[in-house]
Amino acid sequence: MVQETIISLLQIVIFPGFLFFIIAAFFYEWVDRKFVARLQNRYGPLHTGPLGLLQPFADFLKLLSKEDIIPYAADKLLFSVVPIFMLSLPFTALFCIPIVNSTAPISFEGDLILVIFITTLIVISVFIGAWSSTNRFSTIGGMRACLQMLGYEIPMTIVIAGPAIAAKTLSISKIVQWQTAGFWFILTQPLGFIIVAICFLAELQKIPFDIPKAETEVVAGWLTEFSGKKLALLRLAGDLEFVLAGSIMTSLYLGGPSGFWFMPPFVWFIIKLTVCILILSNLRGLFARFRIDQLMRGVWKYLTPLALLQIILVELIPW
Amino acid sequence: MSSIIKIPFGPQHPSFKEPENFMFKVDGEYVVDVTPRIGYAHRGIEKALEDRTYILDLYLVERICGICSQAHTTCYTQAVEEALKVDVPPRAKYIRTIVAELERIHNHYYWLGIVAHEIGFETLFMYTWRDREIVMDLLELLSGNRVQYAMNMIGGVRRDITPEISSEIMKGVKVLGERMEYYKKICSNERTVLTRSVNVGILKTKDAISLCAVGPTLRASNVKRDVRADDPYAAYDEIPFHAVTYDGCDIASRIATRCDEVIESVEIIRYALGHLPTGSIEVIVSRLVPSAEIVSRVEAPRGENMHYLKSNGTDKPERYKVRAPTLANLTALCKMLIGGYIADIPVVIAGIDPCFCCMDRLTFVDVNNDKSWGWKGEKLRRYGIKWYKKQ
Repeated sequence: MVQETIISLLQIVIFPGFLFFIIAAFFYEWVDRKFVARLQNRYGPLHTGPLGLLQPFADFLKLLSKEDIIPYAADKLLFSVVPIFMLSLPFTALFCIPIVNSTAPISFEGDLILVIFITTLIVISVFIGAWSSTNRFSTIGGMRACLQMLGYEIPMTIVIAGPAIAAKTLSISKIVQWQTAGFWFILTQPLGFIIVAICFLAELQKIPFDIPKAETEVVAGWLTEFSGKKLALLRLAGDLEFVLAGSIMTSLYLGGPSGFWFMPPFVWFIIKLTVCILILSNLRGLFARFRIDQLMRGVWKYLTPLALLQIILVELIPW
Repeated sequence: MSSIIKIPFGPQHPSFKEPENFMFKVDGEYVVDVTPRIGYAHRGIEKALEDRTYILDLYLVERICGICSQAHTTCYTQAVEEALKVDVPPRAKYIRTIVAELERIHNHYYWLGIVAHEIGFETLFMYTWRDREIVMDLLELLSGNRVQYAMNMIGGVRRDITPEISSEIMKGVKVLGERMEYYKKICSNERTVLTRSVNVGILKTKDAISLCAVGPTLRASNVKRDVRADDPYAAYDEIPFHAVTYDGCDIASRIATRCDEVIESVEIIRYALGHLPTGSIEVIVSRLVPSAEIVSRVEAPRGENMHYLKSNGTDKPERYKVRAPTLANLTALCKMLIGGYIADIPVVIAGIDPCFCCMDRLTFVDVNNDKSWGWKGEKLRRYGIKWYKKQ
């Protein structure tokens, strides 16, 4: 009994718990930075640790030690709570993702809806953070983040229903189990996979959808007033969100930790997650930034109808 | 009443490389009005020029701009040489032309990178700035300096082009031309670039002429005006080339104009190197300049550069005046910005290739600055109240 408690405690704290998620967040930030740098004919992180692997962690530590400034006019309570809030949300969602075996630490019928809800909450907290910092650039950044959410949220939610309909369950773990028994959903719903990738780029505020924090237009957007510890936490939250996005794509379309040959399921999960992250990074290196109106038009004109088409196809085709 | 937010851009802003202030009034994402405030980098260079001899002034003029240094010194030496009634040897003229065109290539690569950065296309930014190293290395090979080449002197140029350097330049510009063809293809095909540049920052032909725009900004509004062709200086009267124009009047046309100008510059350099006259590269000139009034014009990479010299027979100018291209483009810039989106502000400002430091060294700006202060203070407040009442 005691042994089981210790094991479950270790699962939550170390693997696949907080420690693993944080390490994964730093690692995938490095992957993203290095990959994009090589695409752009630069070196990327190089000096801290082997191949610059420790650079994201070093950045995090540096920011933690920096002065933490709260603007005079800011809503101090909200301003201080937002980074913690933003950090805890992706953590919660990540516990719903099956990583080691085909059942997640938190798994119940309907956790897919919870995860989608959490991704929305992240944007809401972005807006709260922007609003509470009472900076003009932050305000515009927060407004843009919300506008952007109105755009990508709908096709994303529609299209994520695809695997759920096909597997006849609303639990991510059961969708993964279905895929382990059957086949990966990317084979039957490639369109859905593409739409989800595009929507996650918008969710993560990466080029070409980094409109809320377009530095040449609105300085750092909604992040402008955050500094020191708060900025460090927000950056970590962003990295965790990145991992979360990759994990959701992996779980819903690439069969999660299921694999073949001799490798353990966990290794398969990491490989697939890396592929998803590289897809997102690659898209980031390819494009210029859209304007907010262009994003909205594109999303409503093309992505939403395509998402509906994908759902119709799922309903029509028996598998 | 709609909500009008005032957004200051600058003097410190990540999209500006130099200090400058634009006060924007925005309604949601639309720009309603814009007030530029110039003068943040005023350094009194014109007054300083009057206190130094012509030889020392050359070094000061070189430092008006980091990038158009060849254009400014060419303009300056031309004015002094005309006052001295000295003819520069043809070889020196050709060398000036070659350096000026290399400088143009340098500037346009630099500009393309900045525009790519402003529209969030980081990859293109990294690529163009990598290729810019080639032309900087060529300039270093030629003059000894990566920037501020110090090639011109009164009566000629400082360094000669040897056959080895000539073949290196030929090799370098070949690569630069090819790369620019590639970037031009990207900029005219890549959808995200097109959505951010086509029909953005419109400056109609009529407005471009009436607001006295210059340089590539003007030529992208379909006005064929280029000092190199209209009033040839250096060796431009002997070298065949054509002024590039586009009729889109938007950022896409400005990108295309500059891309084509680079390709044109490569051709000019090839021709000039192939037809380099023999002979000396300098003539010895007197230090005392007879009294005269000269206006000298040069097509800098950013547009027409105008210098005015009043000499009085001593070894110092009595009055010197510089009109850099950015100042001429500023009124046109405000026209482009109004009615656009906030998201387009940086790319439109970058679109004229602004160099606020060149511009702010002018005494004329001081006068203008005072005026714009007055407007900003009480008058702006009154204007604001009136404007709000109208809503």
